[in-house]
Amino acid sequence: MNSKQTSKQTLRLKLEGLTKRFPGVLANDNVSFAIQSGEIHALLGENGAGKSTLVKMIYGVMQPDEGKIFWDGEQINISNPKQARALGIGMVFQHFSLFEAMSVLENIALGMDNKISKKQLEKQVHQVMQTYGLSLEPNRIVSTLGVGERQRIEIVRALLLNPKLLIMDEPTSVLTPQEVEQLFEVLRKLAKQGCSILYISHKLDEIKQLCDNATILRGGKVVGECDPKKETSKSMAEMMIGASLHAIKKNKSKQLGDVGLAVHEMSVKGQGDFGVSLKNISFEVRHGEIFGIAGVAGNGQNELQAVLGGEVVLDDENIIKINKIPVGSMRANERRKQGLCAVPEERHGHAAIGEFSLRDNAVLTARNRQNMVRAGMINANKAKAFTTAVIDEFNVKATGSGAIAGSLSGGNLQKFIMGREMLQVPDVLVVSQPTWGVDAGAAAAIHQALIDLAAGGCAILIISQDLDELLALCDTLAVINEGRLSEPKKTEQMSIEEIGLLMGGVHGANQAPAELQNEAAG
Amino acid sequence: MQFRLEKKLQPSKKMLFATPVLAVFLTMILGAMVFTTLGFDGLSAVREIFLTPIINSLKWQDLAVKAAPLIIIGVGLSIGYRANVWNIGAEGQYIVGGLAATGVALLTHDLSGWWLLPLMGIAGALGGMAWVFVPAFLRTKLKVNEILTTLMLTYVAVQLLNFLIFGPWKSPTSYGQPQTVLFNSDQILPYIIPGTIVQAGAPIAVLIAILAWIIMSRSVFGFQVKTVGSAPNAARYGGFSENKTIWLTLLIGGALAGFAGMLEVAGPFNRMVPQFPSGYGFTAIIVAFLGRLHPIGVLFAGIVLAITFVGGEVAQTTIGLPNAAVGLFQAMMLFLLLAGDVLVRYNIKIVRAKR
Repeated sequence: MNSKQTSKQTLRLKLEGLTKRFPGVLANDNVSFAIQSGEIHALLGENGAGKSTLVKMIYGVMQPDEGKIFWDGEQINISNPKQARALGIGMVFQHFSLFEAMSVLENIALGMDNKISKKQLEKQVHQVMQTYGLSLEPNRIVSTLGVGERQRIEIVRALLLNPKLLIMDEPTSVLTPQEVEQLFEVLRKLAKQGCSILYISHKLDEIKQLCDNATILRGGKVVGECDPKKETSKSMAEMMIGASLHAIKKNKSKQLGDVGLAVHEMSVKGQGDFGVSLKNISFEVRHGEIFGIAGVAGNGQNELQAVLGGEVVLDDENIIKINKIPVGSMRANERRKQGLCAVPEERHGHAAIGEFSLRDNAVLTARNRQNMVRAGMINANKAKAFTTAVIDEFNVKATGSGAIAGSLSGGNLQKFIMGREMLQVPDVLVVSQPTWGVDAGAAAAIHQALIDLAAGGCAILIISQDLDELLALCDTLAVINEGRLSEPKKTEQMSIEEIGLLMGGVHGANQAPAELQNEAAG
Repeated sequence: MQFRLEKKLQPSKKMLFATPVLAVFLTMILGAMVFTTLGFDGLSAVREIFLTPIINSLKWQDLAVKAAPLIIIGVGLSIGYRANVWNIGAEGQYIVGGLAATGVALLTHDLSGWWLLPLMGIAGALGGMAWVFVPAFLRTKLKVNEILTTLMLTYVAVQLLNFLIFGPWKSPTSYGQPQTVLFNSDQILPYIIPGTIVQAGAPIAVLIAILAWIIMSRSVFGFQVKTVGSAPNAARYGGFSENKTIWLTLLIGGALAGFAGMLEVAGPFNRMVPQFPSGYGFTAIIVAFLGRLHPIGVLFAGIVLAITFVGGEVAQTTIGLPNAAVGLFQAMMLFLLLAGDVLVRYNIKIVRAKR
């Protein structure tokens, strides 16, 4: 590793033996690494590897139980984020904290520690945007902005403080390939000017593209450091996961059956002030087919999931058909009886209820298809047996059917939810983000289960923001943008570049499409 | 120094049971202090209110009489509260239920037969349901907050009661007293323990609590209520209609309150009188929360609150404690319980602002 630099320059940030314990978990175990000025350093690890905890300690949200933090060679205690910002540590969180109904400038002003006049702030914002080529309109209302633009607000907010270290937490999970490229340009420019960047991700290709060094965390420990440009994605993934990856087994020569799910010219008005309207959506999914819908978050995916799953009921029953039976006006439980199972994106409070036991969570969606109900009463034994079957078949790590859903890790809960729907042997399965926030091992298991289910004749619709996932699984792909669905095509016939452009809206406002296309392709 | 509340991953099961008990004990201690500073004998006040009704076996029948309506209304409210449906106007539903039963009693005053009481019971339940119909309609169609509408309709119910017993229903033989005629013997609840004042209301209350327990813990309906209450999105995903749940829980709450009204008017009162709105409908809110919104918990909480009612009467005569003292104790209990709940569900973190 870059030993030639280490000896000469003072280190911007050095961590020595950081340890953080939570009841029952050792979140960080003796973590040490260092970042130089102007370095883009990747922090790589699966979900639950301890990345967030580590970053929270650097940003002063939490304090370490043991270990030392050095800033510009001096040992310090960072007791709160305000102090961290004063030191020159900026952070852009994965989930934005923006007020939808306020303007860009108002949002930035709210996040400032020192109150300055609006005029002065506007001047500073313009300056930052010019320096780093970030385009934003200060007086636009946030609710009218796309995700990429919202992230830019957060970045500008962080840059206004002239940070010496910028922490980016999974910044690209919501961006189109083109937006990712724009972001990388900004980050490279920042680094050139001497700002260090701690880049948290589990997307290996991006880390290879962007980062100078990588520290790999697994189970709270540093398991390796490497130069990502010299490693392959596979080798880094194996370090991250700690086991060799299994390739997905996919039957190339499969025969598709009849149409399982048919949607015909569906338009649904978005609910509330910030809901996305679905516009004239039509598509068909055949039995045995895996149909993927790509798109950047907030382009109507949740609305589509809700309408297909029966959480939003349509007036015209003929718009949605399951096995040629009109179901548009049926509620979720009636559609389940017709063979349609669904998994919404949000696990907590939507696909599952954290305070309920796993058994009760099984009752939530499986009560009719698994004959758990007689004369209005729930058969506890049948519910328990089904729950146990899900736990066993999908390797859910839980203490039993009585375990509280909220006590499971994200990946385990997702395995349980997916298993709960798949074990009901649906004719049609509609899932959103099946592996969102799930570790690689669990994701692989879920992917394999989906493939097997399709091989058994289920028509599967996957709505996901993870392009790699869609490309690996789907026979057919379409892209959703602002509530409109693109023409579905065979996956082989679509290039990443084409998908990326569709995701951003083909007629999008990107300034230099030609240049971006080149970069995306390269 | 600042304080911050952080939600606990999982509240301790033990504490969930312990807080209601703790709240009652803290109420006693604080109550003793409050009444001592007010110049009363605080310790005796607490003893008379909380202990005498338990120790003195003569008071047990009073407990049963007072607890029955509290339990019945409390069970109904707890079902709604589970679904986040906040009916706080059970008093109004209780009054209208009593009025409906009275109406039937007056219409059938010349008749006799075993079927009179069941008919009055049905009328009472329907009366209570009619009184929540408007809040339910407004909530589901226009999203009008049911807290406001149910409460306001309570005052309308009181006016309706006064109008009827000062006007068309006034007994011709009551020397101008605003009250109806006494019900006939087939319209009065039977006494189930000879030589006491305990009528059929008490065992019915126990039965209702047990029935509600089975329904809430075993049926799809109970599951639906809990799901809508704790995660509306998950409820929609599970195929449960929120509006249907609001309707059902409000109607059940209204029906039980109205039924309790019938049991009161056909029980202790034997006729409709201006004193009929005794505050059971409001106290039942405390009962529901003290009972942890669980039917069996409500059963015990109903008895606890009945103790304060009976004990309050005792303290009034023995140490001259004002009647309002009971209300003070009950309110303190609710506040301490809710405050205790915060401590059970959240951790308090002290945030020191360092420069």
